[in-house]
Amino acid sequence: MHIPDGYLSMEVWTATTVAGAAAAGYALRRTRTALAQPQVPAAALAGAFIFAAQMLNFPIAGGTSGHFLGSALAAILFGPWAAAVIMSAVLIIQAVLFHDGGITALGANILCTAIIGSFAGYGVYQAGLRLLKGRLQAAASFAAAWVSIVAASCGVALLLALSGAAPLSAALPAMLGWHALIGIGEGLITMAAAAYLTERRTSLAPEGAFA
Amino acid sequence: MNERRPEYKVTGSRRKWAVLAVLTLAAAGLASPWASGRPDGLERVAEDLGFLGREAAVHSFSPMPGYEVAGIPWEAVRTGLAGLIGAVVMAVLLWTALRALARRR
Repeated sequence: MHIPDGYLSMEVWTATTVAGAAAAGYALRRTRTALAQPQVPAAALAGAFIFAAQMLNFPIAGGTSGHFLGSALAAILFGPWAAAVIMSAVLIIQAVLFHDGGITALGANILCTAIIGSFAGYGVYQAGLRLLKGRLQAAASFAAAWVSIVAASCGVALLLALSGAAPLSAALPAMLGWHALIGIGEGLITMAAAAYLTERRTSLAPEGAFA
Repeated sequence: MNERRPEYKVTGSRRKWAVLAVLTLAAAGLASPWASGRPDGLERVAEDLGFLGREAAVHSFSPMPGYEVAGIPWEAVRTGLAGLIGAVVMAVLLWTALRALARRR
């Protein structure tokens, strides 16, 4: 789901470039306190894994394919701010080195996948753990990943509509429909990776202090 | 009321992170040439709703467009090598940037 150059109108790409740069800059600032030095090697490796996994398009129904996004996985492991930084770095490398995703669309892609994707994924994961009282992490991870890619696709649909590429009434259901399917793959990969890369610890926590 | 709740912490197991590193290199270097070439969700929507033609290149400075290293006769090698380079660049860039950013302690 990388918006290429040309899909967005000049007004939209100018606005999203400014907003995307501001959001990425703010995420960098928040990462100073959100991430600790011992987490750095793991976060760098997770970013490389997300890049590699994004290359592996898998076929879904109707002659279409999808690929892993990774925003929810990054947010589950390192929190939403560090995830936004990791995902922005992936998008920058893809656009600059591989011509995947436009340069004028970089801000839009950062807003949709790095910001919306990471925060939607983190929010659903935390809410899911709370709701399930910390049990069934797999269900929380799956839901987080599904919602995160679907939310990102809604963001892209909105920007396409604002750009006059297609009316929202057509773009939104189309983007939502395909990404609801791709989201199943996203959910399965995120579920497996999050289960493998986290450890369960039972601790005596006061009500509401679960974080 | 206090209750026991499980928490999920990122693993510190070196073995698990080493497995992820191997998986990353295998995905980028070996599996990537065999990824599906079908249009992805957004491309499919662009086709169906008739705005695929809006795509316009505004630059040509990417060294490996389309995830291929030019000048190698085998497609699998072109793509696999591009994937490996990308994964290594990704890890080095993030390691350097995050090490400069993250809090001490």
